[in-house]
Amino acid sequence: MPELLDRAAVRLDAKAIGRDDAIRQCGAALVGAGAVEPAYVDTMLERERSVSTYVGEGVAIPHGTLAGKDAVHHDAVSFVRFPDGVEWNGEQVVLCIGIAARGDGHVRLLSELAQILLDPEQARALRETNDIDEVVRLLQPAGEEVAE
Amino acid sequence: MPERTVTIASRTGLHARPAAIFVKAAAEQSVPVRIRVGDGSPVPAASMLAVLSLGAGHGTEVILDADGPGADDALDALVTLLARDLDAEEAADA
Repeated sequence: MPELLDRAAVRLDAKAIGRDDAIRQCGAALVGAGAVEPAYVDTMLERERSVSTYVGEGVAIPHGTLAGKDAVHHDAVSFVRFPDGVEWNGEQVVLCIGIAARGDGHVRLLSELAQILLDPEQARALRETNDIDEVVRLLQPAGEEVAE
Repeated sequence: MPERTVTIASRTGLHARPAAIFVKAAAEQSVPVRIRVGDGSPVPAASMLAVLSLGAGHGTEVILDADGPGADDALDALVTLLARDLDAEEAADA
């Protein structure tokens, strides 16, 4: 069973020229981790045009449409941080967490991510840490230990 | 405190478009509205992160509450929203 967050899908110092560029980078990280087909990234852009995935606090959680589910190999997230911020429908996004899930898995994934982001300590750590391992540990689903 | 129980009708659950519509509507009410699942802690219905944290999928029963003048009207409006398939109203999202 692959990890939910692959170390290779974490970037702490990315730059993007805009929202769509940021989403493509988030999607590319999921493709690179072997979690999705490249076609999934197009459905992430499609979703965003339909409704913003900005959730507040400088965080966006882009994910594909229902139609994109066929392009998902396994549930995964990617974590791309933009220290300079990205303009996102009038908001500034510094944290972009891409999500891919099969079936109804996205509801549980979004819920777990939201609970982490609602915790001020964990949210601050995700914004500030320079340690990829800490990001991987923080985004580990509750109750699952990181394999050493 | 007035409460309403409603089942999430949206096919993909309370996230993305349905959540955005619901959170916006909750913020527009004259009183603060809270939402919870089962025995869970109530969270502000006007907070996207809080609403997402509920993990309410299609068919999940949620409970809304609010207090003060206009609470009943606010709850009725929001219950009506959640009882609709908000995904079906955006073909591109299906």
